[in-house]
Amino acid sequence: MPRIDAHLHVFTKASAEFPREISDIWPAEREEPVEKLLDEMEKHQIDQAVLVQMAGASIANHRYLLRCLKEYPNRFLGIGLVPEGHPNPADHMAELTDNTGIIGFRFSTFGGPRDIFAKMDVREFAAYPIWECAAERDYVLWLYPNAINAHLLPYLIEAFPQVRIVLNHLAVCPGAGKFSWDAFGRPQVQVTGYNLFMHTTYRLARFENVNVHLSGQYAFSKEEFPYKDLAGWHHGLLGGFGAKRLMWATDFPWILEEPGYGKLTTVIEELLPNLSEAELADIMGGNAKRILRFPDS
Amino acid sequence: MILPTPEQKAQWEAEGYLVFENAIQGEDLKRLQNAFDYWADACKAEWLDRVEAGDAVATFYDIPNPLEKDPVFIDIIDYPSYYGALMAFTDHDLILLGPQVRTVAPWPVSYTGWHPDVGQSNPLHIKVQIYVNDVEPGSGEFGFVPGSHKPDSGPYTRPMRQESMTGHKTFPGKAGTAIMFNSCGWHVSMDNHSDTPRKSIILIYEKRTPGRIGPEQFASISDYCQTPERRKLFSLDG
Repeated sequence: MPRIDAHLHVFTKASAEFPREISDIWPAEREEPVEKLLDEMEKHQIDQAVLVQMAGASIANHRYLLRCLKEYPNRFLGIGLVPEGHPNPADHMAELTDNTGIIGFRFSTFGGPRDIFAKMDVREFAAYPIWECAAERDYVLWLYPNAINAHLLPYLIEAFPQVRIVLNHLAVCPGAGKFSWDAFGRPQVQVTGYNLFMHTTYRLARFENVNVHLSGQYAFSKEEFPYKDLAGWHHGLLGGFGAKRLMWATDFPWILEEPGYGKLTTVIEELLPNLSEAELADIMGGNAKRILRFPDS
Repeated sequence: MILPTPEQKAQWEAEGYLVFENAIQGEDLKRLQNAFDYWADACKAEWLDRVEAGDAVATFYDIPNPLEKDPVFIDIIDYPSYYGALMAFTDHDLILLGPQVRTVAPWPVSYTGWHPDVGQSNPLHIKVQIYVNDVEPGSGEFGFVPGSHKPDSGPYTRPMRQESMTGHKTFPGKAGTAIMFNSCGWHVSMDNHSDTPRKSIILIYEKRTPGRIGPEQFASISDYCQTPERRKLFSLDG
């Protein structure tokens, strides 16, 4: 069974050939190229990976991702972005998925009522056309919902039961103002001690098309690797979703310095030590291969 | 004090729950409903801000510090229709752990799955859920597995769908209904497919153990707790 890193990012220096947005964390001259990733994957026996677009949602911003996918068609699949408020998201999505290796799109907001007690009509949600398009064209939706959007999800899932959904990073829904970067250049998301998500995203386990990443532990844990304080969250997700709908991922490159790529290849065994060999193999790649339809490597 | 009948005692032992229909009614119920609606409305905006900030659950909300907001929420802690049963089951050594004055939104999925609250080693832990509005079938009514509070019951596993739980019973009811249950038992809020929020109050009690609740916990309402019984119930004298 292949070992697949189901969520990470690569990027190159900003240039005319590969334009991208810049920030303090990814200034124009920084690069975390695919070759560096392949090196880590080789060292730690990881066969394939999902490259997730970052630093810009325009078609041009995706050029480096598209190049990587073209160059290594049997190693990678891609997840793109849709510009917020795009007048015709279907066209944008179609252009990016035309035999490119991009299989789906990542987003965090759904554009529905902020108040769960409001009347819900999914056709009025701003994200409805994206979901509709995903249903028609069999795209995967890669979701990292903001906290105030979490309650909207089941309405969309009910409307589009055929869409494959992957909830990123332990199905956490970050709160506004709770995101920062730490001294190692890693995203940090401040979460409450009480696991709020067991009353929202964990409850989506009932829907068979919903899958979850076991990743991003470093961003939520108050401990160092292996992040034992999150063992309960992992058990909760395993109990709800089962071993067939969980996918391991590293969130490269943020983890390169601390704890390092190699250590993260063991995080599932650390946090879910009672998994059978077959369950572990599923989480470490079998599920990603099946659900995302990776080619044979 | 209305003590439980022999039949109620037998049911409590065997099945782990009791239902008190019309436990609160008339003017008392109206007073409770008015206070609930007033404070739920007053606290909603702040709750939504906390949801947005990732500090509160998105699928239900509790009125913060309800005992300080209206004495009606204190009066239901030792309300006569079920208080006698609470006292009898805890050998007249009952303490309040806290109230949850809870509004649950209609949602395609219930906000929680089947679970017990405590293990068998915990001192007797009892909850009383009081419906503040009518709770019809399919609108977030309480569910319980009779007998699941017993040490030799089970094992139980959480099913994907609420209605798939083996041996469960659901408890729709009119406003003012109180359902008392042993929290070792497996219970849940059923799905709410209606367009009506479920308004209920969950009172959490335990058989006293030393130091479980400090005298500071309910000190802010000590003016309302002048009798020795109430002071003991609210652990005001340590």
